Amino acid sequence: MDDSAEKDSHVHYVQIDESRCTGCVLCMKACPTKAIRVKDGRVARAEGVCIDCGECVRVCPQGAVKAISTEKLVLDEKSVNVVSASTVIHAQFGEGVLPNDILLALKRMGFDYVHDQSYTNEMFNVAIELYIKEARKSSDSSWPLISPVCPVVVRLIAHRFPSLIKHIPPLVTPREIVAREAKRRLSGKYGCKQDDIHVVHITPCPAKMICIKEPLVQSRSFLDSAIGISHVYWAIRKNLGEIADDDVLHHSGGVGLGWGMSGGEIAGLDMACLAVSGLQETIRYLEKIEMGLLRDMDYVEFRICTEGCLGGPYTVADKYLAKHHLHRLVRMFGVEKRVKYEYVRDLYRQGWFFTDKKMTLPERRASSESISQRIERELKVEKIMERLPQKQCGICGSPDCSTFAEDVVDGRASLGDCVFMKQKVKKRAAGGGAK
Amino acid sequence: MSQLTKRFSILARDFSRAGEVSIQVQGTLKKIGYDQDIIRRASICAYESELNVVMYGEGGHLQLTLGPDEIVLDVVDEGPGIEDIELAMQEGYSTAPAEYQEMGFGAGMGLPNIKRNSDSLEINSAKGKGTHLRIGFKVR
Repeated sequence: MDDSAEKDSHVHYVQIDESRCTGCVLCMKACPTKAIRVKDGRVARAEGVCIDCGECVRVCPQGAVKAISTEKLVLDEKSVNVVSASTVIHAQFGEGVLPNDILLALKRMGFDYVHDQSYTNEMFNVAIELYIKEARKSSDSSWPLISPVCPVVVRLIAHRFPSLIKHIPPLVTPREIVAREAKRRLSGKYGCKQDDIHVVHITPCPAKMICIKEPLVQSRSFLDSAIGISHVYWAIRKNLGEIADDDVLHHSGGVGLGWGMSGGEIAGLDMACLAVSGLQETIRYLEKIEMGLLRDMDYVEFRICTEGCLGGPYTVADKYLAKHHLHRLVRMFGVEKRVKYEYVRDLYRQGWFFTDKKMTLPERRASSESISQRIERELKVEKIMERLPQKQCGICGSPDCSTFAEDVVDGRASLGDCVFMKQKVKKRAAGGGAK
Repeated sequence: MSQLTKRFSILARDFSRAGEVSIQVQGTLKKIGYDQDIIRRASICAYESELNVVMYGEGGHLQLTLGPDEIVLDVVDEGPGIEDIELAMQEGYSTAPAEYQEMGFGAGMGLPNIKRNSDSLEINSAKGKGTHLRIGFKVR
């Protein structure tokens, strides 16, 4: 089976503007799943599996690799419009702008109902604690557990670390809980269908579009669309201002607000936890967990973006300044959770937090070959590797020598694409001619 | 019968790179596409044995042999050898000096962990003669 055909059936948020692409190798080299090649001086996303991590978007100096999202906020007049905002939004406006001001500004923009995730974040913390305590009693649990919150981490695990899937607790993420509950409550209130309640997610993260369209851990997403913080930033800014209304829309303590930064989620857990952020570090620590390390830890918060969601591609504020601001908010609202433990525990026991299906594995690459055939292939790859210069330059159009060797074996590249191999052939030909 | 052999050298007492070989072993196994469970178990054994070479050996190597029916890890070092193999197989028994234990290594779980996660384990070692572990996994 042709992998590129397989890949094309999936939604991806990364788009390449060919007119801006200069054919340099930066995005290809940055891709953790080696899903990018440079062909004829232009970037082509081809083989392998894109996990929508956004590294290519970050490294492209030309702005040729772009993340797509719903760039314009359109409220549907026929629906009840609900917004569910990531708490990262509270770190974007600097000092003096409080969470409630931002939520009020969203309301003035025309949303019927405005929620942020801060309170649900705190509920989720309690649910995770309950889950860990129960899992510690059972002998077949896998440790440490891995946070299900970052969608790219979940996709990375599905593609590259499938043996770690069982480390991800089957709990619904706060962003989905907010949407699910809004739909349930409001459809009851208005006597309409759940589909008539339109929930928009405001997010720092382009990968959210993908998990709305192709969720891995739920049978469907309760969110209807997602829009980047950077796309609504100025509209919010315009609507900040005179606090005429005294609606209280923000209910959490500092813990729920701090989730946007690396370590923010585990700050609300009274357990043995680690927080790891950044793509390379995440891969590193997933490898360690796969080797049986860190078994004494209860829970690891992984975030693919450096410094956590504050480093997401759709943020506006500098991530370190945003972190400074968030720390201040956490101090202001206190490090205690405001949720009631007994209330959350009862909901937990009713199954309120649990996903409705087991995580599905994405389609794997064609695996009709037997182990013997794959060993044969690897032997051929090794043979070619011995002849390659090991410069890892990427000029051939593959990200490194070993991937190039694989591409040659699979018939997607020819040895002559390597400039060093070409030179050798030329020299030999020239030497032969002089004789 | 197709068989692939890869050899990785391991440096003694280089704790900053400890685990690198196991990561390469893990990567190779994934590339061939073995079953998840066998990859997990082989990774754990590779890591534990790599760490033993780092801690106790005077350097050595890990050789990975991949076949359709079996995966074998040969881990060889020229260290002090194991004086009492039976004792070394007991959980919690360790000859690691205090400073290793302070670093979080040498808890006496290495060999027992390898035994538990492999399908076969041969230990050839004698005092002063180095150690050769042959760790096997059956591919179902």
